[in-house]
Amino acid sequence: MGLRDDLERFRVVGEDRRDDLTDFIRYGDLGASDEREIRIPIKIVELPEFRYDPLDQGGVGAGEVDVGDPVDGRPGEDGDGDGSDGEPGSERGEHNYYRMDPEEFAQQLDEELGLDLEPKGKRVIERTEGAFTDRSRAGPESMLDLKHLFVQGLKRTLVTDFDEEFLEELLKVEGIGPDEAFAWARQRHIRVSKQWFVETHAGIPADKRDVWPSIDALTAARAPQSVVDRMRAGEIDRIPLRREDERYRHPEIIEEYERNVVVVNIRDVSGSMRAKKRELVERTFTPLDWYLQGKYDNAEFVYIAHDAEAWEVGRQEFFGIESGGGTRISSAYELAEECLTAYPFSEWNRFVFAAGDSENAPADTQDRVIPLMEAIDANLHAYLETRPRDASTRGRHAALLEDYFVEQDDVVVSYVHDEGDVTSAIKEILRPETVS
Amino acid sequence: MTHEPLPHLIAAELDAPVQHATELATRLGLDPYPVNFWIVDYDEMNQLIAYEGFQKRYPHWRWGMQYDQRSKMDRFHAGKAFEIVNNDNPASAFLQESNTLADQKAVITHVMAHADFFKQNEWFETIDPEDPGAAAMMASHADRIHSFMDDPDRDREEVERWIDHILCLTDTIDQHGGMSDARTETPSESDDRSDQRALADRLSDLGVRDEVRDAVFEDRWTEEGPEPPEVDTPQADVLAYLRDHGKQFDEETGRATEMEDWQREVIDILRAEAYYFAPQRMTKVMNEGWSAYWESVMMADEGFANPDEILDYADHLAEVLASPGLNPYALGKYLWEYVENTVNRREVLEQLLRVDGITWRTLPRIVDFDDVLAALDPPEPLERVGSNTVDDLRTVDPVYVDESALERAIDGNIDVDRYPWKVLTYEGLARRNYSLTKPRFRGFLARVEDAELERLDRYLTDGDRYDDIEDALSAVTFTAGWDRMREIRRSHNDITFLDAFLTREFIEDRSYFAYEFDHASGQFRVSSTDYDAVRQKLLLQFTNFGKPRISVQDGNYENRNELLLGHHYNGISLDIAAARDTLERIFQLWGRPVNLHTVVKTVEGEDLAALESGDRRINPEERAISIRYDGETFDMKPLAWEDVESFVDTELGYDTTPDDW
Repeated sequence: MGLRDDLERFRVVGEDRRDDLTDFIRYGDLGASDEREIRIPIKIVELPEFRYDPLDQGGVGAGEVDVGDPVDGRPGEDGDGDGSDGEPGSERGEHNYYRMDPEEFAQQLDEELGLDLEPKGKRVIERTEGAFTDRSRAGPESMLDLKHLFVQGLKRTLVTDFDEEFLEELLKVEGIGPDEAFAWARQRHIRVSKQWFVETHAGIPADKRDVWPSIDALTAARAPQSVVDRMRAGEIDRIPLRREDERYRHPEIIEEYERNVVVVNIRDVSGSMRAKKRELVERTFTPLDWYLQGKYDNAEFVYIAHDAEAWEVGRQEFFGIESGGGTRISSAYELAEECLTAYPFSEWNRFVFAAGDSENAPADTQDRVIPLMEAIDANLHAYLETRPRDASTRGRHAALLEDYFVEQDDVVVSYVHDEGDVTSAIKEILRPETVS
Repeated sequence: MTHEPLPHLIAAELDAPVQHATELATRLGLDPYPVNFWIVDYDEMNQLIAYEGFQKRYPHWRWGMQYDQRSKMDRFHAGKAFEIVNNDNPASAFLQESNTLADQKAVITHVMAHADFFKQNEWFETIDPEDPGAAAMMASHADRIHSFMDDPDRDREEVERWIDHILCLTDTIDQHGGMSDARTETPSESDDRSDQRALADRLSDLGVRDEVRDAVFEDRWTEEGPEPPEVDTPQADVLAYLRDHGKQFDEETGRATEMEDWQREVIDILRAEAYYFAPQRMTKVMNEGWSAYWESVMMADEGFANPDEILDYADHLAEVLASPGLNPYALGKYLWEYVENTVNRREVLEQLLRVDGITWRTLPRIVDFDDVLAALDPPEPLERVGSNTVDDLRTVDPVYVDESALERAIDGNIDVDRYPWKVLTYEGLARRNYSLTKPRFRGFLARVEDAELERLDRYLTDGDRYDDIEDALSAVTFTAGWDRMREIRRSHNDITFLDAFLTREFIEDRSYFAYEFDHASGQFRVSSTDYDAVRQKLLLQFTNFGKPRISVQDGNYENRNELLLGHHYNGISLDIAAARDTLERIFQLWGRPVNLHTVVKTVEGEDLAALESGDRRINPEERAISIRYDGETFDMKPLAWEDVESFVDTELGYDTTPDDW
């Protein structure tokens, strides 16, 4: 009995949480994620209840708007009013996604698919600049932590500020010298040094040292003011900044082998690659990218689109491009070879993934693509054929590659017919014997 | 994750803040339940949140889901929970151990005000004070349900499924009337009737607008002396009705059979918990606002935060108040400040109107508000209490000063630099924290409108007259704001609170707006920034937990032992798909066919084409329908309007769609 059982029961009632990642890759909306953060919708089991039609109910929001302005995402909705109470600062909304970074994604995928990719360290890095989390007392001016400096100054002011004028007057009381004044201040937790009294006292002309008959007479005439009073009265108009509070933000210094990876994603964008085939490529390539990004310290991605010609594109456009042209896969490998000269194999782990519907002239596959694949050093070459089961095919590119590279572990050919195949394709591509 | 008895008693460094906060709260006029404070770690906090503030709940997968969601919300994106407190005597408050000391102090003061609210607000009195206490109740419910699951005749799944059915109905209770243990056939005659009259009196005392009263509360409470109904319907407490008259559906025989004892007991248990949580849900804005208000008085104004903590506290406060939209903390706090200012302003103006020669017409001309504020400013020694100036307190009105504390302070036995409030009385603290002279509210007095002045003048009771303004101001009661706030905190709930104090000025200052779905463009769009529309929309969100009201209309519908439920349609239609899913669950608790009468909006013919093309505004037609579920199929058919007339009101104005959409 207890929450642990409740959690187990939820996993049964709401399906096992560990299925989530597989389902997400196969059927989920990948578009809410980006390369830094993977967002997986949280599975919620909802019990029905009588409620208003949300479209009919409308709502209330806050902000500078005009009538007719569209309202995004129903702002200002006041949660679900659950029975729990008193959680200041526990923000509503934003809880429809479970967010993971690529490292966590890679770890989860390892668990879920039984993968075990050990990234190889390649380049020896003398100095790696880590996050700017350290603070040091010296550094370049541009790295000075101004907030820290100011806040320390402000705190010091709040704690140590004292009413100078009053204390100076105190020294003008009959029978009060620096010693007595210091004792008086100390008793009242006023943080002023004895030195200050000595110096101030020295600066008071002898004939002004007995202006007040007693401390009571002084306080009656002029009570000392607290720092808060003085702030309110505008008497503190500057915060003294001190050199000792200067801190420079500083990166951590690390020496290590850096695990670099460059991933070349090649995609056939020719006329025969219809929406479904494109989606299957995206569902396979995107998790591969996230996974490798999570596994390596430094991941670079090259995106190449091709029909009969090949050209390099950005990640954003890569999965959306459609072109009308024919197909010549070798054009993409020629471009890949050129791009990879910037990433020498001695320093970089290299992955070359290509995807299409296998439609390519057999001569191009045999005479040009295969020699190029052999020539391009890489940890792994993969070709992914995406073709819905009901689609007819004439293409033999995948089959030819499979025949030719049958003995070689560093070339994988995989087939994806529908969403259900996506995770097994990923597993096949990343299986230990091919990539370790 | 652990499920051992969790918390560690509060750390020694917080002992003193707790003691001081209790003393300060008492001096400020609060009267909280005693509070036990506990320190919990991140995971324990997630468990407590999943269990809605308790350490032990009955077994159910839903807690696991809540825990799972809470844990998956990563620590960076979802704001952290600083504390959770439950309504109990003594209350228990759980503080997150990662809080800074400034956070902890803020949270302690915040919790003190919650504990005061729980104890003092009358809507919480529906909970029987003789009960053994909330934590004990939850624990005993847990043990009972666990024992049902342990019974070899059934398994956990079966009990959980039964719980699921009931959970679909925990909002269809009679939250304003409170939980009555009487069986529903015999609506207890004398008790109920006097309760109903008391409630009618209460609503009329609160000055609730008639249309709000009619929309929110059952007629039977607001009529002067209703006859006890001859039959036991209509019945707002659907759960109680099902407990008393429901049957379970036996899948094997396909017939209704009597519920087993454990099944009825589970209904009772879940119903009791629903009634326990109802007052908190009915007072969320008031309660959070109340706590935010007093937290800020204690932390910032009375120096509960040390000078070096005040920056951390400012950060904390900004985080709590800054979340966008309808944040109950911000909304509630601003409303309480508004209440305080208006009451204080009225008190000052009423005194001024008693000065010979001053009328509501001449007052703005004769009176210099800056001079008034200067006179109202707290006397110097009261404002600047400190070890150097403590003697000066002898010069102020003795009513402000706690004489014996002052002696001790002068002898050095009280650290008045850190705890200046220890030498002041309630009156002294009220004077020191007087709202109208605070820098950010200094313009409030002068902003009074002629209409308000005229009203004050008209209802001015006979009393002292003054020769001059000085005399009048010396008669001002500085505790008026706080006194009134405590009265309001005693008698109001969110609906009456918002209805009474959500002013035009407030809605405009805060830039609130109403929005509606625009079928032509297929999205939500701003429908109005007008005060009445926004207020109406806001009240909809707080009425009946923001859910449609459903009641039992008949337990022997058409003489076939069928259940008839009525939807008290208020212009906003039901989510029909969800309603059908709910009827399937109710069937399991009734055992025989169930019917729901409701109103839908339909668009036909030319209007349909206009809707699709978005050419012009269409007015959907409201039609009464019946939905019947017999255990296998749904049957929807039109009804005559007369069939629903008795529980439907189409004049409530919750729809803020502009005419030209």
